[in-house]
Amino acid sequence: MAKVTFVTESGEEITENDATGNLMEIARQNDVDGIIGACGGVCSCATCHVRVKPEWIERVGRPEEEEQDMLDLEDRADERSRLSCQIEMTEELDGLVVEVVSL
Amino acid sequence: MSKCPYHDPFAEKREKGPVLETEFDGDPVAMILGLKDVRKAARDWKTFSSNAPFRVPIPREEDLRSVRQFPIESDPPEHTEYRKIVEPAFNRPNEPEYQARMTGLIQEMISETTSCQSVEAVSEFALPLQSRALTYLLGVPESEAQTWIKWGVHVLRDGDGPTKGKEMEHYCKEAFKRSSGWEENNFFSLLNEATFRGRLLTDDEKLGFANLAFAGGRDTVINTVCLILSHFAHHPDDLERLRKEPELVNCAGEEFVRFATPLTHIGRKCPVDTEVHGVKVKADKLISLCWASANFDDTVFENPGEIRLDRKPNPHVAFGNGAHTCLGATHARLIIRTLLTQLTELVSSITFLSGQPKIEKAPDYERVNSFESLQLRLNRL
Repeated sequence: MAKVTFVTESGEEITENDATGNLMEIARQNDVDGIIGACGGVCSCATCHVRVKPEWIERVGRPEEEEQDMLDLEDRADERSRLSCQIEMTEELDGLVVEVVSL
Repeated sequence: MSKCPYHDPFAEKREKGPVLETEFDGDPVAMILGLKDVRKAARDWKTFSSNAPFRVPIPREEDLRSVRQFPIESDPPEHTEYRKIVEPAFNRPNEPEYQARMTGLIQEMISETTSCQSVEAVSEFALPLQSRALTYLLGVPESEAQTWIKWGVHVLRDGDGPTKGKEMEHYCKEAFKRSSGWEENNFFSLLNEATFRGRLLTDDEKLGFANLAFAGGRDTVINTVCLILSHFAHHPDDLERLRKEPELVNCAGEEFVRFATPLTHIGRKCPVDTEVHGVKVKADKLISLCWASANFDDTVFENPGEIRLDRKPNPHVAFGNGAHTCLGATHARLIIRTLLTQLTELVSSITFLSGQPKIEKAPDYERVNSFESLQLRLNRL
């Protein structure tokens, strides 16, 4: 079982202990404030923007080109930004922490 | 040009500069054209305010309705609070039972249509589909759709014909009274019970929410549905591709929405004198966020005039952007995706019989963004 924690902009921490699927879907199943996932995970809306904690960046990986193109349009994106719909949860990511970036 | 009558009337204007200085209702309007600029302005509600009753839609709508629309014609923080009131209703399309109902509805409508020699897609398919689907969103009996269908494609402004705005407002006032007899937590009862900053909503606020629910997602959904049917009639290869690659449905849905961009633009008011990319806008005057131009911006979208079912990423703004992103987008996306899936499962091909494009005429552009009529035959698989 893999665990993931979302830290919302208000500082609330929401943890899913048995996380499967992509992070956007997991966030929505857990009603994480600020993750909307409006386009359903096809890289069209950037409403599932998160920042990965620095210690996890290498294991999570950097965005692919199409994801980076979306992030480039976001004012609040930085080098830790990812679209959570593009991060697939695996056992390797057990313990992952991401910060939610609301619109 | 392809057989599809849709096109981008803003291409040359974007070449000339980031803003088109145009006019509506006898007033100057600075229309922002590029995708990045439109997105940025859409998020800057302090500079470009929605606190402008009747003026967020362009042209203005004082003559078409009696109330300010909520939550769209307000700014944060009030907007955030107003929006939260109706969010539970607009999130219902995420529920599996809701999705199953939508599948059933569209299966039934396509099956009926394939048994006919031809269908006038605007009035006999898209309009009833939109109205019947809306009963699910609002949580009211499906029979209510029969009344709504009679209001026509655009309830407030339907060509040169008379507005049905008053009739719709009268219906809504009655619906607030009748809603206790409908399913629990329907849209109208939700508003009857809702509070804003410790008080119940006023009758005008409730009517403003209902007004937007009926007017906002109507012609927009209808036009997109018609575009999809027309596209498959002219591009049978795309229907075949979707049949073979059903995983493309979500992507394709976004692309159809981008290409259709059923709402050309929307207004924002400048509270103080403002300069927009070199264009001076006086206090209380409007700018326009031109979604239709932004979605064809070739600095962002490769070959924007082409429908690519696998376009990804697709940062279109057909549902708007920022705090006011379309509340009904989840519902609209479900209709579109379900329609795409069911077409691949039930229809072998679509035959185009005849069509009359609908032209939106403005002082500085003419945009074909829908059909007056669209006669098709849906051939059963």
